[in-house]
Amino acid sequence: MRRLLSVTTALVLTAGMTAPFAQAEEPKKGGTLVMAIQQTPRHLNPAVQSGTATGQPGAQLFAAPLRYDEGWNPQPYLAESWEIAEDELSVTLNLVKGAKFHDGEPITSEDVAFSIETVKANHPFKSMFAPVESVETPNEHTAILRLSKPHPALMLAMSSQLLSIIPKHIYGDGQDPKAHPRNGQDVVGSGPFKFVEYTKDQHVILERNDDYFIEGLPYLDKIVMRVMKDGSARTIALENGELHMSGFEQDPLNLVRLKKNDDLTVSDKGYGAIGPINWLAFNTQAEGPTSDPIVRKAIAYAVDTDFMLKALMRGTAKPSKTGIHPDSPFYDGTVEGYDLDIDKANKLLDDAGYEKGSDGMRFGLTVDYGWPTVKPPAEYMKPALKKIGIDVTVRSSPDFPTWSKRISNHEFDMTIDNVFNWGDPVIGVHRTYSSDNIKKGVIWSNTQQYANDRVDELMELAGSTNDIEKRKKYYAEFQQIIADELPLYPLFPSPYHTISNSKVGNPPDSIWGTSHPLDRVYLKD
Amino acid sequence: MTEPTLQVTHPLREMATMFFRNYTAVFGLILLIAILIFTFIGPLVYQIDPFEMVWAPFTQPGQDEYLFGTDYLGRDILAAMMAGGQVSMAIGLAAAIISVVIGVTVGAFAGYYGGWVEEVLMRFTEFFQVLPTLLFSMVIVALFGASLVTVTFAIGIVSWTAVARVTRSEFLRIRELEYVTAARSGSAKDAYLIFRVILPNALPPIIVQANLMVGSAILFEAALSFLGLSDPNVMSWGQVIGSNRPYILDAGFAVAIPGFAIFLTVLAISLIGDGLNDALNPKLRQR
Repeated sequence: MRRLLSVTTALVLTAGMTAPFAQAEEPKKGGTLVMAIQQTPRHLNPAVQSGTATGQPGAQLFAAPLRYDEGWNPQPYLAESWEIAEDELSVTLNLVKGAKFHDGEPITSEDVAFSIETVKANHPFKSMFAPVESVETPNEHTAILRLSKPHPALMLAMSSQLLSIIPKHIYGDGQDPKAHPRNGQDVVGSGPFKFVEYTKDQHVILERNDDYFIEGLPYLDKIVMRVMKDGSARTIALENGELHMSGFEQDPLNLVRLKKNDDLTVSDKGYGAIGPINWLAFNTQAEGPTSDPIVRKAIAYAVDTDFMLKALMRGTAKPSKTGIHPDSPFYDGTVEGYDLDIDKANKLLDDAGYEKGSDGMRFGLTVDYGWPTVKPPAEYMKPALKKIGIDVTVRSSPDFPTWSKRISNHEFDMTIDNVFNWGDPVIGVHRTYSSDNIKKGVIWSNTQQYANDRVDELMELAGSTNDIEKRKKYYAEFQQIIADELPLYPLFPSPYHTISNSKVGNPPDSIWGTSHPLDRVYLKD
Repeated sequence: MTEPTLQVTHPLREMATMFFRNYTAVFGLILLIAILIFTFIGPLVYQIDPFEMVWAPFTQPGQDEYLFGTDYLGRDILAAMMAGGQVSMAIGLAAAIISVVIGVTVGAFAGYYGGWVEEVLMRFTEFFQVLPTLLFSMVIVALFGASLVTVTFAIGIVSWTAVARVTRSEFLRIRELEYVTAARSGSAKDAYLIFRVILPNALPPIIVQANLMVGSAILFEAALSFLGLSDPNVMSWGQVIGSNRPYILDAGFAVAIPGFAIFLTVLAISLIGDGLNDALNPKLRQR
C-alpha cells in the first residue's frame, strides 16, 4: 500500500474565485486584451516547441496539470489533486471531471499519457520527463506516472508551457508532432482560450472558451497577441494605450522610460522560473590561461558587476551571484562574492607567475558575444581587464549561428552568454555543469567543459529527491564550489519585466511571466 | 625697351594660384589641417587611452575636466575623438585608394581598348553600380566579420564604379587626341600608352573624384558602425556613435560630438574637392 505523502485539498474551484491575493474590486467580465509578443511563434504547440514566443499563446490554448503561484507552490489546474508515493517513484494525478477540449471531446487520462509521451519524445528539454518510464491510466480521470528514480523537477515540468495537454484524437494520428498541420492552424486546445486566427508576423487571436473547466473563468472575451519585434515600437504602443500589456521586456532604457509613466505598471515579478542569467563563460579546457582557476578568479575580481548593474542595466536588474536565478528557492546568496578588487586580482596573477610584459600586459584573451544586446558587457571587458594586464580582444560574430558554432565547438577563451533556468535546476541548470553534458557542437550544453566529480555527485543527489531542504543543502554546496572554481562568472539576470497599463486587472505575477494562463486577467472600465 | 616675353608658369603653380584664390576651398583646407592636427598631434599632448574607463558614465561635456564628457562606459570622449579620427581618416584614405585602383584599372582598359573589352568591363561596372551600396557593404561585413580590413575593403569595393566611369570617359576622349596618335605611330606599346601617355592627362577629374571618395568613405564607415558593423576593438568616430546610439535620448552629446566631427571633416574634404575641380579645369583657368 502506498501511503499518501501529500494530498492537495484545494479542490473547489468555483465561480467568483479570484486571484490568491485580496482584490479590492470585483473582476469584470468581457473585453479584448491586446498584448505584444516579441517574436513570431514557429507554431502554437508548446508540447513540441520551447521558447516564450510559442509559450505565451500556448499557455492560453493548452492547460497543464498544474500551475504555480508566485511563491513557487504548485496549484491545482487540470489536475484537481495529486499524490506522490512514499518511495517517490510514482505520482498520481487526479484530473478535473468534465473538462473538455475546445472541440467538445472530454479530456481524459489517455490524453495526459499521450501528452507526456509526446513531450518526452519531442521537446528539447530532455531532462523534464526522462525518468518517466510509463504512464498508467486506470480510469478516465486518473493518470499514474511511474518513475525510474525520484524526480524533483517533475512538478515544475508539469506546469505552464512545459506540459501542454494536447488532444490525442488530433495529434495521435501518426503524423510527426513537430510538423503537425494542426500546430499552427485550427488548433484544438484544452486551456482557457480558443484559437481564432494566427497570421505569421502579424498576430495570434484567441477567444474565450465558454466550456472552460474552471467555472466563471476566464474573464476576458478575447486576447489579441500582436507580434511586435521592435522594442521602441512596443514602448510607444504601451505609452499611447495601443497595448494593454507586454511581457518579457528587458531593454533597460525602455524600462526606465516606461517606469516614469504613471499609467503603466512595470513589474519584475514572475520570471523566477524562466530564470535568465547573463554570465561571462570561460573555456576551462583552453590551451590559454582561462584553464587556470586563478586567472578566472582574478578576472572575477576585476569585473565590477555593481557598475554593470548601475551603468549598463540602469538599476533594472538585480544582482545574481550564482548560476541559479536569485528568485529561485535554491539560490544561495551567501556564496563568496567577487567584489571589485584590482589589487587582489593583480596580486593573484603576479603570484601565479603571469609576469607583465614591457607593455604592461600579461597575456591576451578574446571575449565573444553573439547578439547586439550583450555587446555592452563584452565591450566593458576590454578596459576592465586592461587594469590587471589582460589584453582583451572583443570578437563580434556576424550572426547568431556563427557565435553558436564557435562556442559549441569550444573555440573561445571567454564569452558573454545567457542561459535560462527553466524552472527546476534539473531542467535548466544541470546542463551547464554536468560533465556528461560536454557535447561538442551543442550550444547551451556544458560549453565551458567544466568537470568536477563532487559537482556531478551533488547534482545527482539534488536531482533525485523531493525533499526540498535536502535539495537546498546540496545546491548550496554546489553553488559554493561553482563560485570557487568559476567555470563561469554570473554578471546579472536579464531584467525581464511585465508592463501593464492601469486598465489591466490581475496582471500575471506567477513564476512563468506571461507564459502563464491569463484566465484571471480582466479589463477595468 | 625690352621685348615682351611670354610669361610661362608651371602648371602646378598655376593650379595652386587658382586654388588659393578660391576662399571656400582655402577654408576647407584650413579646416582639414586643423582636424588633422587635432587627431594626430592631439594624442601626443592628451595621453589618455580611449578605451579606459576614466570617470562616471555620461559625464556632461565640460564637467569634471572632461571637455567632451564621457560615454556609456565612462570612457573619455575627447580621447576617443582623437584616436577615432585617426582611424576614420585612415579608413577613408585606404578605402579611397582601393576604389581608385580598381576604378582606374577598369575604366582605363575599357576606355582604351573599346569593343568587347569595354562592353564586358562596363557591364561589370554597372552590375556593381546598381547594387544598393550600403546594403552590399553590410553583406560583405556580415559575411567576413567586422574587422578594420573587411570594413575598409567593403567600402572600397562598393564605391569604385564612379571612378571607373570618369576614367573611361576621359580615356575615350584622350585616346583620339593628336599626341596619343603621335605616340602610337612611334610604335609605343599599349601599357606605355595607357599609363604614361593617357593616364597622366586623365588624372585631374580622377583626383577630384578620389578626394570626394575619402569623404564618402568616412561617412560610410560611420553608417556601418552606426548599424553595429564595426570592429569593437578599434575606436573610430562611427564606433563612438554606434556604441552610444542606444542612449541617444539620455546623453545626446555622446552621439552629437562624433557626428559633428564627421560633418566637419566631410565638409572640409568636399570644399577642397570643389576647389581642386575648379583649379584643374582648364576652361575655368582661362577666365
